[in-house]
Parts: sequence; structure tokens; C-alpha cells
Amino acid sequence: MGKITIPFGSQHVALPEPVSFLFDTQNEIISDVHVNLGYVHRGIEKAAITKFDYTNLAFLLTRVCGLCSITHASGYIHGLEYLLNAEISKRAEYLRMLVIELDRMHSHLLANGHVAEVVGYENLFMQTFRYREKVMEILERLTGNRVQFDYYTIGGVRRDIDLEDAKEIKKELLELKPKLEKLTEFFETDYTFGLKTKNIGKITKEMALEYGVVGPIARASGVKTDARAEYEYLPYNEIGYKLQTRKDGDVLARNLVRQDEILNSLEMCLNILDNLPEGEIKVKTKGRPKGEVFVRVEAPRGECFYYLKGNGSKIFERVRIRVPTYANLPILKDLFIGEKYSDAQAIVLSFDPCMSCTAR
Amino acid sequence: MLKMFIESFKNLISKPQTLKYPFEPSPEPKNYRGTIFYNEELCIFCDKCENICPPGAIKFEVIDIENGKKQYNYNPYLCIYCGACVDACPKSDEGCLSQSDKRTPALGREVVKNKKLGYFINKIDNPRDFEKEWEKLEKRAKLSREKLAEHKKQQRLKKKEQIKKSN
Ligand code: SF4
Ligand code: SF4
Repeated sequence: MGKITIPFGSQHVALPEPVSFLFDTQNEIISDVHVNLGYVHRGIEKAAITKFDYTNLAFLLTRVCGLCSITHASGYIHGLEYLLNAEISKRAEYLRMLVIELDRMHSHLLANGHVAEVVGYENLFMQTFRYREKVMEILERLTGNRVQFDYYTIGGVRRDIDLEDAKEIKKELLELKPKLEKLTEFFETDYTFGLKTKNIGKITKEMALEYGVVGPIARASGVKTDARAEYEYLPYNEIGYKLQTRKDGDVLARNLVRQDEILNSLEMCLNILDNLPEGEIKVKTKGRPKGEVFVRVEAPRGECFYYLKGNGSKIFERVRIRVPTYANLPILKDLFIGEKYSDAQAIVLSFDPCMSCTAR
Repeated sequence: MLKMFIESFKNLISKPQTLKYPFEPSPEPKNYRGTIFYNEELCIFCDKCENICPPGAIKFEVIDIENGKKQYNYNPYLCIYCGACVDACPKSDEGCLSQSDKRTPALGREVVKNKKLGYFINKIDNPRDFEKEWEKLEKRAKLSREKLAEHKKQQRLKKKEQIKKSN
């Protein structure tokens, strides 16, 4: 049979993000792929060095992405605080970690839910999103907004958490815990879900290292990489952080790594709420940013890289963002070839791609 | 598979998780970041809020060049509700600028009017004109600033000359 070209994206019911793939298929088997990116380029890096002062740049960078908005704020503000030599209080650091981990939970639940949806398991999808909603409600209570948290500020955090809120959030998290454990079990043991995800889109450890993939995708292939463990940008070792890896490297393993991380994040959140140190939530900083800094922080999708260069004026000379999805895209092309077209959607979504970040 | 089946069955008879909005109200949670309210009597016109606002949703227009009188204009549909202006305002403790925990109603057939929302929105009757008028206002505000700067420069020159003459 001849070659048939099938477009997938840029708008497609199974795709939450604008990215376009053109699959050349032969008998349903993919023989070649053409990828088009950059549908949502907004010129954020340019705006960051022309229109925004260092004092309100965090508000712009937060809006690079909806799902990991706090990561972008953290990447920028950790860099800026290094340039300004700011000493952050313990309480602020703990509150920062709390929001980052809650954000990771809701982002991972979204990704896992989407995978369940594209393999045709609507029921599991709804179940996942039902729990995700709870996490988002907690975040809204903490920060005042569901998506754009704007929680980071130069020298600390914008809002404190009071006793009543802490108690309420803890109660909700404890209620959520058995449900999420059950959800992990569903993902792990469900027969029909396994049929569409086991041994699909397999990345071996060697492949992962060669292509330099990051985040849960690398960890699902057994690569031990996590910016939270490698860099001490926040005191993760104090709150029970554990690196999660799996060995199989297929769609299911990627889902399960994310699921394990959700449970670990939940554990960390409970630890933070139990051991929240007293103190100020914000310190005053002096001066203007001067010099260069590289920052690596762990976004839900992997390692996010920030480069800042200041020259002592109000506006930065250069702001460079390398987002995790950008590092994870090259391997996709290799992965598709030889797979069935019907599995392509599950493979793309198991990568949890974020095009808004990638195109910026 | 069986476990998920049981779970699905439970969901069939349990309460729905979603709200029937708009037939049912969807209240804002505690500490929601909503519309910005302004109190002119307390304002010292330091322009800190205008300078920090990331999308430029606050604009002060100089209406009287002679004594530098300014008017506060706020566009709640450009605002991203970040709350940076409230943090920056030196008088926010007294309530000069404050963030309410209510959403701004959508720009429908009518424009919401409220004295606390500043001058701009209270002057508009037709919601279709909203964007055009805001563009005009931005230009006007910029021009008025330039005029004020020019005026101040002239006055300084005059003063210098007077001092020279008297010497
Ligand atoms: S909340 Fe943010 S966007 Fe809105 S007026 Fe204040 S600074 Fe501007
Ligand atoms: S920051 Fe506060 S006091 Fe200053 S101009 Fe704005 S509203 Fe008035």
C-alpha cells in the first residue's frame, strides 16, 4: 500500500497544545514525521529586556506558562536574589516549596489524566481531574488565584498562611492521600490501560542519555536526574524529598513516575505544614542586578534553565529561558518511527508537552 | 479493572462534583485576588502604582497643568489582578488602594459603574467604545505628562532668570 500523510495538530481534539505533526504512514505504521512548532510565540524574552523593570518582570515571566507559572517565577527570582545577595528567611523558603509542590501535583495530574483520555479511558480521566480540582482549590486558597499564583516576590513570598488555613489545607491533603494512592493503583494494575501503554514509545536509558531528555521522561527510563536533588536552591532534603525513577521507559512508566512524584509531593506538603518555621515572610533587598547568573530549577516537566544578565540598570540586558519541553522534543521524532499511528497520541501526551513554554 | 468498575459505579450514585453555573452561584474563595478599588481622598499621587503595573492598567492623567492635578484611571479589563499596585502603594494600609475579593463582572451590555473604579470607567456608557476610549486615554495621559514636564522645565528656567536679574 502507498504512503498516506496524516496531519495531527496544530488543532486536534486529543492535543491540548498547539503543535503540528505530519505523519507519513504505511499500513498504519509511521515511517516519517515532520514537526512544526512556534504557534504561540509571544516575544516574551524580548519584552523582558525592553518593557519591564526587574521589579515587575516576575509578573511577565509567570505568564510564560499556565501549568508551571510558579517555576518561571522561581527561576527568575532565585537568579535575581543571587545577584542582589539577598538572604531569604526559612519560612519563606518553606512556603515557596509548598506552592511549588502543589503546583507539581496539579500539573502531573493533568498530564496523567490526558494520557488516560487519549487511550480511550474517559472514566479514569474524569477521576484524575476530579482530584486535580481539589489541589487547585487549595492553591487558590493559598495564593488567591487558580493559575497565575504570583506568589514569589523579591526577597520572599507575597502572602503568609494562617493557622486556620494551614489546618484546613492539611485536612484536605490527608483526605486526598488515600484517593491518590488508589489512583496510582488504577494506573499500575488496570488491564485495559496497560494494553495501550505498556511497551509503547519505549525510551531506553542509553537513548535518554544520548538525547539529553529531562524530567519525568528521563526518570522513567532510569536516569537519575532532578534539579531538586542536584542543586540546593531550596532545602528539599529537609522535607523528605525522594528521587523517583522507573526502569521501563514506556508510556506507562512515565505515567507512574509522575504518579509517584505526586505522592512524594503530597508527603512533602504535609511535612512543610507540620514543620513550618516561624519568622518573616519577606526581607528587603537593596541595589540593582549586576552580573550574570545561570539558574536551574525543576519544573513539573523537567529541568528549567534561566540565564540572566544585568548591567546595573533597571532593565536586564538579557533574559534567556530554556524550558524542559524544548529538551524533550528531539527524541519524539525518533520515537514515532515504527510505531502505530493510533499510539502516536498517547506518546505525545505522555511527554506532557508545553508549547506555550517552548515558543514563549 | 474490577476496582475501577466499582469506583465508576460509586460515582454513578454519588453527588456531582461540578457546579451548575450560571444557574447556581460560584462564590469566590477567601482571599481571592479581585478588582482593585481606589480612594481618591487618601491618595498622595506618588505614581508608584502606575509605574509598577505590568500591563499598564492604571493611568494618571494630568488635568490641570498649572497646579499638577491628576486623575486616576483604571481599566479592570486590562488588569491581571496581580496586586502589585497594592503592594507598592505607600497608603495601602489606610485603604487608598485595596484589592477586593470579588470578581469584576464581564463587560456585557452595560458598564459597571463605581466611584472606586476611578474616572475612566464612569465616563463610558457604551461598552463597545471601551477599548477605543482606553487607547485615546493612554495617548492623552502620555501627552499630558509631557506637557507637565515641559511646564515644570519652563518654570525652573524662569526662576533661574529671576534669581539672575535680582542679583
Ligand atoms: S492588580 Fe496588577 S495589573 Fe491590576 S492594576 Fe494593580 S498592578 Fe496593575
Ligand atoms: S501608589 Fe497609592 S498613593 Fe501613590 S498614586 Fe498610587 S494610589 Fe495614590
